[in-house]
Formats: sequence, structure tokens, C-alpha cells
Amino acid sequence: MKNGRIYEDLSLILGRTHKTFNVFVILFIVLLFCFWKIQIIDHGKYWEKAEANRVREIVLPAQRGLITTRNNEMLANNIASFKVSIIRENCKNIDESLKKICQLLNIKISVLRERINRYESLPAFVPIIVKDNLSRKEVSVVESRRLEFPELIIQAEPKRYYPYGIFASHVIGYLQEPSLKDIKMDIYREMRPGDLVGKTGIEKEYEAKLKGKEGRLIEIVDSLGKKKDEISRLEPLKGQNIMLTLDFDLQKKAEELLEGNEGSIVILDQRTGEILALASYPSFDPNKFINRFTPKEWIDLINNPKFPLENRAIRGLYSPGSIFKLVIASAALDSDIITDRTLFFCSGKIVIYGHPFSCWFKPGHGNMDLYSGIKHSCNIYFYQLGKRLGIENISVYARMLGYGMKTGIDLSGEKDGLVPDPAWKERVRNKPWYPGETISVSIGQGPLLATPLQVACHTAIIANRGRKITPHLLMSDNFISQEREGSEWVPDKMFVKIKKSVFEKVIKGMWKAVNENGTARAARIDGYDICGKTGSTQTISKKTSEKLEKEVKTHSWFTGFAPRSDPKVVITVLVEYGGHGGATAAPIANKLFDLYRKKYD
Amino acid sequence: MIDRSHFMNIDWILVSLLLLNSAIGVVAIYSSSLYLPENYCLKQIIWITISLVLLFIFLSIDYNILAIYSLFLYVLCIVLLGSVLIFGNLIAGTRSWFRLFFFQIQPSEITKIAVILVLSHIFSKSKRSNLSWKLGSISSVIVFIPVVLISFQPDLGTALSFILIFLGAIILTGINRKALILLLIFALVLGFAGWNFFLKDYQKSRLITLVSSNKDPLGSGYHVLQSKIAIGSGGFSGKGYLKGTQSQLRFLPARHTDFIFSVIGEEFGFIGVVLAVLAFFFFVYRLFNSVMSSKDRAGVYIIFMVSMMITCQFFVNILMTIGLFPITGIPLPLFSYGGSSLLTNYLAVSLVLNVKMRRFVNL
Repeated sequence: MKNGRIYEDLSLILGRTHKTFNVFVILFIVLLFCFWKIQIIDHGKYWEKAEANRVREIVLPAQRGLITTRNNEMLANNIASFKVSIIRENCKNIDESLKKICQLLNIKISVLRERINRYESLPAFVPIIVKDNLSRKEVSVVESRRLEFPELIIQAEPKRYYPYGIFASHVIGYLQEPSLKDIKMDIYREMRPGDLVGKTGIEKEYEAKLKGKEGRLIEIVDSLGKKKDEISRLEPLKGQNIMLTLDFDLQKKAEELLEGNEGSIVILDQRTGEILALASYPSFDPNKFINRFTPKEWIDLINNPKFPLENRAIRGLYSPGSIFKLVIASAALDSDIITDRTLFFCSGKIVIYGHPFSCWFKPGHGNMDLYSGIKHSCNIYFYQLGKRLGIENISVYARMLGYGMKTGIDLSGEKDGLVPDPAWKERVRNKPWYPGETISVSIGQGPLLATPLQVACHTAIIANRGRKITPHLLMSDNFISQEREGSEWVPDKMFVKIKKSVFEKVIKGMWKAVNENGTARAARIDGYDICGKTGSTQTISKKTSEKLEKEVKTHSWFTGFAPRSDPKVVITVLVEYGGHGGATAAPIANKLFDLYRKKYD
Repeated sequence: MIDRSHFMNIDWILVSLLLLNSAIGVVAIYSSSLYLPENYCLKQIIWITISLVLLFIFLSIDYNILAIYSLFLYVLCIVLLGSVLIFGNLIAGTRSWFRLFFFQIQPSEITKIAVILVLSHIFSKSKRSNLSWKLGSISSVIVFIPVVLISFQPDLGTALSFILIFLGAIILTGINRKALILLLIFALVLGFAGWNFFLKDYQKSRLITLVSSNKDPLGSGYHVLQSKIAIGSGGFSGKGYLKGTQSQLRFLPARHTDFIFSVIGEEFGFIGVVLAVLAFFFFVYRLFNSVMSSKDRAGVYIIFMVSMMITCQFFVNILMTIGLFPITGIPLPLFSYGGSSLLTNYLAVSLVLNVKMRRFVNL
């Protein structure tokens, strides 16, 4: 075809038409191949996407089990609440959407964005909670602007509520959203982000029982998220209710008595191990921060120097002080180092291993036998016993009597405490054991550490004349402690290998301490055979105290049980910086014994 | 002018194919507008009837006479296009409609017929094997004016159809390499200028989306993705008439207009797609084949430009539904709901019939 050639007839343009049409024929074939690829080869992929578009799965939350005291007083129940969630796929423009939502609901954009980013990996069309605990006004604001915000959905959910606020909050615990790390843990396997789980206390311990089984609703929705039809519905299963062994009045009284101090009170029935009160002060009101966001209250609690979130009863580590003299007495009697009549002379001062040691009573107690030693809590008497026993013996008996290992209570986070011995010192401090340290340990000082609950359990063994129990909060006729990491507590109802007569003698000393004008006389109640022992533990050494030129008060301990011959209740009181055990802890115990007696005897 | 024998020579097969494809469209429109407040299906049937009547009326005027007066028609259309920019109704962000009784009229659609006639009139005089400079520039100006006016509405899709018509004319006339390169440079400059000064943000993002439709499923890629999901989930035999979840639950946007083919793909599956494409293919084949029955050069040009316009629009629309072409707003000829576009296509086919039935020179 030459350039510029003239064609009189139509042959040229007809030919070009023909060629063009042939090109279209090829395009038609290619087009059908494209559809083959999308509709046949990739069908599965697109089918799934269409289903995801059309089907919405809604989780029907299960009512969490209720928690009550043994008197059926409601400690944790559920109230109705509303939450609003975003379905990202329904946003036209996610950034603009977030901005508008923040304005609508008065949320900080950074908080919301952080949340959306955190859950970015969630499958499409899974709602992400934007705000919970909506007020009635907020619900109506969102509902009335449905068309403007097709991406928002409002769902009702039962919300945890603790009617008594701070009451027993350390025992009950609280709920929070699991961290992404938590979700990978086994117990949270079925959890989804946004679910609230028990973080501490009974809420955590019995999470599996309490949470129930959530239901599922599968429905068909249109592109605006409007429900068109329901495919299937699986009703949720309520969580089990839990009754605690706590006695409402005792717990309440214990908390009242601690108010204003830092400290802890444990009351238990040493026959069964049922805990009647487990108080720790300062406390907190979990209602104030149970939602999915971090309110100011929570930040304040975390940064509070008095650690209100810590459960001092199971996590507070203190020197047992003079309370430990019960261990020394039992050990000395059981290993026949002394009899109850063996006398030691207290002049107020003594030099052992070249170091001067003194009694808390400067003028000296004079001649002391076992009973007067315990009654007056004479340091010199117990130095002599400790010196004769030696640290190895002391540590064996201390462990036997409940120190240095977890009690096995049904609360997580319990601390072990510490019973020192030369091997421990070698291992941890890389130094040999000095004999002088044994003398400190024999009056409960030195590296020795115990939790108030351990002291209570220790007292329970003495009251039971050697029978061990597992303290527990779950009301159950036959409580079996769950296997817990680090728990070496011997199964329930086992007897420790100490002669029964030893306990009778120690108990006689404890009875005298309360009833014959001993150190624990402030706990005495007329006509009620209370046995007890006080303790006052130095929080800093004497030398440091002298340097500071002021008196730093000691921690104040009392532990005891009643009645003497047929014990029914053990009470342990610890008040941080409360001064002498007889001055602060014992009067508190007195009031609690009094209440117990009125209620149960 | 009008002669009974002319009517004897009407290509009834082409008319049947035209109606067949329109009927497929009506079936799909019914399904896609089931839950819409307006009865688009009935409106489309009314439009088909009106268009069919106008098609036959239009037949009565010899296309050669139409070609001679086409310049007047063209000028009238340009005036309409100009005034729609000033007085038109603003619908969905574009100013391209006149309200006329119960219906809305899009002057840009009718302008296509005028441009086809003008171009065929001019080009039919050229007997050379390729485009002369003079002819090239005149025809460029003729196409350029409505393209600019329509782009101001802004309605890129329709503007693009004019380029396609022009492309048809150029292909037929032939073009030498130099002119082709010059035209490409011109297009490039125009494209560059358009991207920077002319295109709206949403149009730019639509073009970007074409390259990566999955990256931003809720942004501009949303429409394409939903359309692909609709078609892909239809599978081999489809979800069944009126049972497409994508269309019935409104995930599919503009499903009775631009995305009508996605509805067919979803509800009738690959089988339905093949049948619909085949129906359209036979229609296109019949159109192109009609050039053989043209007695003169003008007739060939008319038929070719009409065929090009309809076929290219078909491809642009369908490639758009599967994400291989940006969303330009070009409806699927004969299938999509829309009176103006339907009428234009019917009148275009009328021109082809017109040429065909007057093929015998001295009757």
C-alpha cells in the first residue's frame, strides 16, 4: 500500500473494517478467558469474600457466674451495659471515620487509633470495640445517627459489678482485657481481643468456671450492616456461681479495723481450712476501672506508693518476729533439748559468740521456763534455745510448721516466704553462715520472711495439734488444692512429725500470753479461751535507727486461735509500722475474736 | 424519499439482536433494582419502546441527507452541551443532565450521533489511503470541542467515547507514522496536563486503584473489589436469579447502571456470562458485517464508527467490572439502565439500518 494512494472503490476501508473486527474477535476470546479465571479458577477466594460480606457472626456474651460470701451476700454480679464497636470494612474512609467517631463519642483520636492498630490483624468484618460502658445519652446519639455511621454497631453486654466496691477486692480480684501476650496463653485460648478476663483473685483463679460459654448468632446483613435474616443461633451458657468461704461480717470488720494503716488480717477455720476473712489494706474499688480503657483511677492505683493493688495477705513478705518463737519452742521441745521446766536466766543482756544481744525488756525477766518465756516473749530465753538447736534444725522445723513454702490457697501470685539456712546463704549471697545469724533467726529476725497467710496456717497447725490444712476460699465440702507451681504443701489432713505433747505445751504458753497478763493480754476476752502470740519486727536495724535519730515503729503482729481445747478459729493480724504487737495487733484480734464468738458460739 | 421497498430491506436480524440484548439487560435490571424505590425495570422498558419508535422514525430520512445537515445538528448539540454546563441539574457531582418531564436527558449522548454523522460526511470525501493534514486537523477540532465541554461536566466516560469514535474514523482513514507519533505526543501532553490541572482527586484515585485494587478495599478500590467478588462468587452456574448476595444485599455499587454485568456474573455464573457475551458478539458481528452492504464511503464510515463506539464501550465497561480498566462511568451498551445512552445506541443502530436498507443505488 503506497502512501497517499487514491482508492476509488471501497475495498481499502472494507478491508480495514475486517481487520479491526478480527482484533475484536480476539478480544472477545480474551475476555471470556478473564471471566474463566475469575469465576472458575478463583471462585473459592471470591466466594469466601462474598460470604464474609454477607454473613455476620455475633458473639452472644455469657453471663459471668456470681460470687457470694458464705452468707449469700452478693460480692460480684452483672449489670446491663452497652458498648459500641466499629466494623472497619463498612467505613468509606477509615481515617475520616475515626475522626468523626472520636468527635461523636468524645474519645481521644490517638487512643482509638492505637486500639485499631493493635487489632489490625483481626479478620475482616470483626467489630472492634470503640467504647464501652456507654451512657444512655451516648447510646441514643449513636443510634440516631445510624445512617451517618453505618460502620458503628451498638451491642448490649453484661458488665461486671461489685456491689460493695472495695469490700474484699483483693480476694475477688477484677476483670481486664487480656494483653496480646495473655491471648497466647493456654487458659485464654478461646479468648478474643475485647473479652474481659479475670486478672487477679478469685476472678482469675476460677475464670474457667465463672466465664460460662458464649453463644453465637450468625445473621445475614446488607452493605449497611442492617440485619436481613438469621441463619443460626447458639444460646450462651451462664457461668457457674461461686460461693466463697468468706464471712461477710468478719471480713467487713477486719477491713474496718485496718483502715488507715497498711496491713493484713487473715481469719480461718483451722478445722477445714476455710478462710473467713482475708483483708489487705489499702484497698481499691474495681468498679472504677473495669472497662477496656485505662482510666486515670487505674494509673493512680499503679503509681500509688502504698501499693493498694497488692494483696498483702499472700504477697506481703515480713519478718515473723517473736511469732517465730513458737517454732523455736516446738523444735527445742521436740528434739528434747529442753523440757518445759528448763530454766534460763534473763538479765536483759547476754553475749553470745562475742556479740552482745539484749532482751526487749531492758531490766531482764529473771528466771524463765518455757511458759514464761512464751508469755513474756523473752528474747534471752529463745537465744539460748536457738543456740542449742542450730540453724539446720531450726530450718527443718520451720518448714515443717508452714514457713518457707506456699500454702496452696486458691489465689494466684502467692509468695513463698523464706526460711534461711547455710546452703541458701551460700547459694544466694555467696557467703558462709555466721553463728550470730542463728541467734537473730531464733527470735524471728534475720533473713526470715513470711506472709500473713503463712503465719495463719502455721498457727492452724499448732491449734490442730499438728494437723495441716490447705487454706481455701472456694466453698466446697472436699476442697482439693489445684496443682500449683512451687507448691509443696502436703495434702490436707496430714499430721506433721512432731509429738502431740509438744503442741499442748506451746499452746499453754500462748494461753498464758493472753490470759495471764502476757504480751498478748490485749487480746483477752473474759470467758473465752484465746491463745495467742504477738510479734514486733524491726523494719530497720538499731544502728540505722540511731543514725536517723528517730524511732521507726516496728511491724505489729498477732496470731492466735480460740478456744484453747477445741479450736474453731485462727486469727492473724499484721499492721505495718504498728509498733508493739501487743499494742496494735492484739487489740484488733480481740475485737475480731469477740465478733466471731458472738456470731458462731 | 420514503419507500415501501426500503422497509422490506430492513435488517430484521440486527433489530432482533438489538432487542435480544436489551431484553437481557431488562432481566438483569429487574434483579438489580428489586429493592430500590424506583421501578427501573419498567422505566427501561418504556425507554426501549420510545427508542424503538424513534429508531424507525429516524430511518425514514436518508443518511446522506442527514450527513449533509449534520453540521447543523452538531452545532445544536454543542450549544446544548454549553448550556447544560450552565443550566443543567447537578446530579452526583456532575452537571450533565436536563430534566425533561419525567425523564432526564443527557445531551452528551445525543452529541455522539451528530459527531458520527459529521465525521462520516467529512471523511467520505477522502479517497486516499491515509489521513491528510487538513482533514486530520478539521476532524480533531470537531471531536475536541465536545470532549472539552463534556470533560467540564465532568464526565470522563462519555468524553472517552468520543475519542473512541474518532479512533474508529482514524483507523478507517489510515494514518502515517509521523502523524501517529505526533498524535501520541499530543495525547501525552494532554494526559499530563489533564492529570495535573484537570482530573479531580477521585478520578485520579480511580486510576491509581486500577494498579492496586486490593490495597485499599474501602477506598476507591471498593467498587471494583465488590464487583469482582460478585462475579467471582458466581462461579460456574451462578447463585440463581434474584439470589445474588452481592447485589441483593447492596454490596455492589451502581448495580443497575455501570455494574449491571456484575449482576449477570453473580446470578447466572460463567454460563450466563458466556451467553450474554455471545449475544453481544453476534450483535457486534452483525454490525461490523453491515459494512459490506454499504453502497458508498459515507455509509461504511457510519457503520464502522457506530460499531467501534458500541464495541469499545462494551469492552471498557466489562473490563472495568473485573478491574482491568479504571472506573470511567461508561455504561454497558443496551444492558445498563439509562435512557439517554439507550436512545443513542438505538439511533446509532438506526443509522446502520439506514445505510443497509438504502444499499441498492437506483431503486
